[in-house]
Amino acid sequence: MIEERFPGHPILPYLLILPSLAVIFVFLIVPFAQSVWGSFYVTSFFGDTRVFVGLSNYLDLFKSPDYLHSVAVTLFFSAFVVLVGLSASLGIALLLNQKISGLGIYQIALVWTYSISPAVAGVIWALLFAPATGLIPWLVKLVNPGYTLNWMTNGALALFVVSLAATWKMLGYNIVFFLAGLQNIPDELTDAARVDGAGPWLAFRHITFPMLSPTTTFLLFMNMLYAFFQVFGLIDIMTQGGPGNATNLLVYNLYRDAFIHLDSGRANAQSVIIFIVIAVAAMLQLRAATRKAAYAR
Amino acid sequence: MKQGIRFGLAALLALTLTSTALAKKVEITWWHAMSGSRLKVVEAIVDGFNAAHPEIQLNALYTGKYAETLTKYVAAYRTGTAPNLVQVYEVGTQTMLDSGAIVPVYKIPGMLGQEWDWAQYVIPITNYYSTNGNLWSMPFNSSTAMLYYNKDLFAKAGLDPNKPPRTWKEVEEYGKKLVQSGVVDHALSFGWPGWVFEQMFAYHNQLFADHKNGRAGRAEKVLFNGPFGQMVLETWARLAKENVFLYGGPEYSANTAFVGGQIAMLIQSTSSLAGITKGAGFKVGTTFLPRFEGYPRGNSVIGGGSLWVTKGQSKEELAAVWEFLKYLAREDVAVRWHKGTGYFPTVNNAVQALLSEGWFSKDQNYLTAFLQILSGRRDTPAATGVRLGPFVQIREIERAAIEKAVSGKLSPMRALDEAAAKANQLLAQYNKLH
Repeated sequence: MIEERFPGHPILPYLLILPSLAVIFVFLIVPFAQSVWGSFYVTSFFGDTRVFVGLSNYLDLFKSPDYLHSVAVTLFFSAFVVLVGLSASLGIALLLNQKISGLGIYQIALVWTYSISPAVAGVIWALLFAPATGLIPWLVKLVNPGYTLNWMTNGALALFVVSLAATWKMLGYNIVFFLAGLQNIPDELTDAARVDGAGPWLAFRHITFPMLSPTTTFLLFMNMLYAFFQVFGLIDIMTQGGPGNATNLLVYNLYRDAFIHLDSGRANAQSVIIFIVIAVAAMLQLRAATRKAAYAR
Repeated sequence: MKQGIRFGLAALLALTLTSTALAKKVEITWWHAMSGSRLKVVEAIVDGFNAAHPEIQLNALYTGKYAETLTKYVAAYRTGTAPNLVQVYEVGTQTMLDSGAIVPVYKIPGMLGQEWDWAQYVIPITNYYSTNGNLWSMPFNSSTAMLYYNKDLFAKAGLDPNKPPRTWKEVEEYGKKLVQSGVVDHALSFGWPGWVFEQMFAYHNQLFADHKNGRAGRAEKVLFNGPFGQMVLETWARLAKENVFLYGGPEYSANTAFVGGQIAMLIQSTSSLAGITKGAGFKVGTTFLPRFEGYPRGNSVIGGGSLWVTKGQSKEELAAVWEFLKYLAREDVAVRWHKGTGYFPTVNNAVQALLSEGWFSKDQNYLTAFLQILSGRRDTPAATGVRLGPFVQIREIERAAIEKAVSGKLSPMRALDEAAAKANQLLAQYNKLH
């Protein structure tokens, strides 16, 4: 099929995509194959001893209550980041799409969270919730004297705070895309709906939300990737996976096994598992999205 | 034209001469994990060494936190690009011993045909890094844990600021008084929870793991879930319930609460002393770690890091590395290191020099931990401290157990049993590989 577009040069198209294929092969396929291969071994700290163990790295992981707990924590965390994050930012984007004075200031004030690094975001939230010196525990103590809000020992609270911080950090990114999506919706459509007697809710439900669906699908995917892969800095600064593994997300667990414990077999197995989870989720999302999203205009 | 050629040739000759002179300079690399104010002291020491030894070029490189430095070292060792010298934290000791990647420092003088007086180092520090009486890595930044307290808050609560608690019973009693008088909401916190837990074992001469704390052979089972460990954790959980103890998180996160006057007592590494003294707007007191009455005496454990020498270097490089290790033992260098960081001076001469100049009487807080390790016993493996292969993971497991117990999520016994099972599994895996 492609050959038809290069009449007389049957090899040329393949030659042209060869460089990108080579890059993909060297930097993605080969390391991934090495990961899969490495996940069948147990390796000593200095890498001098290597024992083939078959699938036992995987079996150990699925038998380990800590790992299963980490899976559960990650599912809660990513659901929180995706659902709360997307609904909050859609709401804010709708407000920012109104014609009000000082709009630029509001827009900047709400978008800047994206531009700070995860480490800085982590420090801000950790200081806010510091048990003895933070603002939030102090406010809680005003309302409820004698009670100390300590996220260093309260696992559920720690998970909530970390989820909140991660969501907050992604807010700016989501708002920018939602705003762009909203501004692409032609005014005629909403005007027509208003003439037909639709209130704001009906107009949102039947016009704005469906018209936004390509943006929403994209953000759904980006937020899921973010929640799975890009929150390492936040966790490392805020909780290091504690208290009692309550915020030990899969990617943080993977980092610790790979780079602190230097247990490469176990880490390889984990990266393969995360890859499969993400691949399946992405496929499901894309399938649902292409069926539902209103790309045509 | 002729002049030009002659000039060019002369320049060429000069260049080859200088480059052979440069090539004679032995270049060695040291990877370390000292950041912040410590980095400046390290740089000053390295500059001093290079100035004193024009034939050696020592390049010191900050390679990230302890864990990162070790990871990089392992990766570099696998590819044959390891530095000559590396700083490793105390929990990495067994790993380094088993690595086959290093030359034990006690062998180096002999390899170079030199003599060295090993007794000049402070004994409890060298004990920690010794195997069968021989020193395997050079002590560099050594610290231990002690009790810091806020003298002003003690006075406010009607306690004698010059009588800090000596036992955990007194910690509880004073803590309750501090909380009940309304001076603070919580009295006590600590940093490095897993390490403080280990300290309690050594401080009361209790074994933390089998095979004599992993010092007579590789440890196969941890012993921290026995009656002593349970008693320690039960005490901490009770103190937490009584609002005396506020769990402050890993590493140094509890320091802010102490410096801010939100708590009155803090168990922390001595390496925080300079920072706490500088930040505190109150009189800081320090004392020995509190004891549990009725248990034998041991010693507090050395923490921090030591320097390991990579195997397979040329004799010139090894000689240069050895020069640097000797330089670190110089009185003025050790004194400067101690003053700039709060880490122990590792040689006896430096201790004497500090004493003579009145450094300890100016601020006796610098003496507290030193007296603590020197007055403790040092003839048992239990008091010297535990050695474990997968120590990094096991310390994380200890921390998780402490967090579960003080928050009331699990009983101390169950938290410790769970942790011990995980630790034993790691030990078994480690021993299978080595």
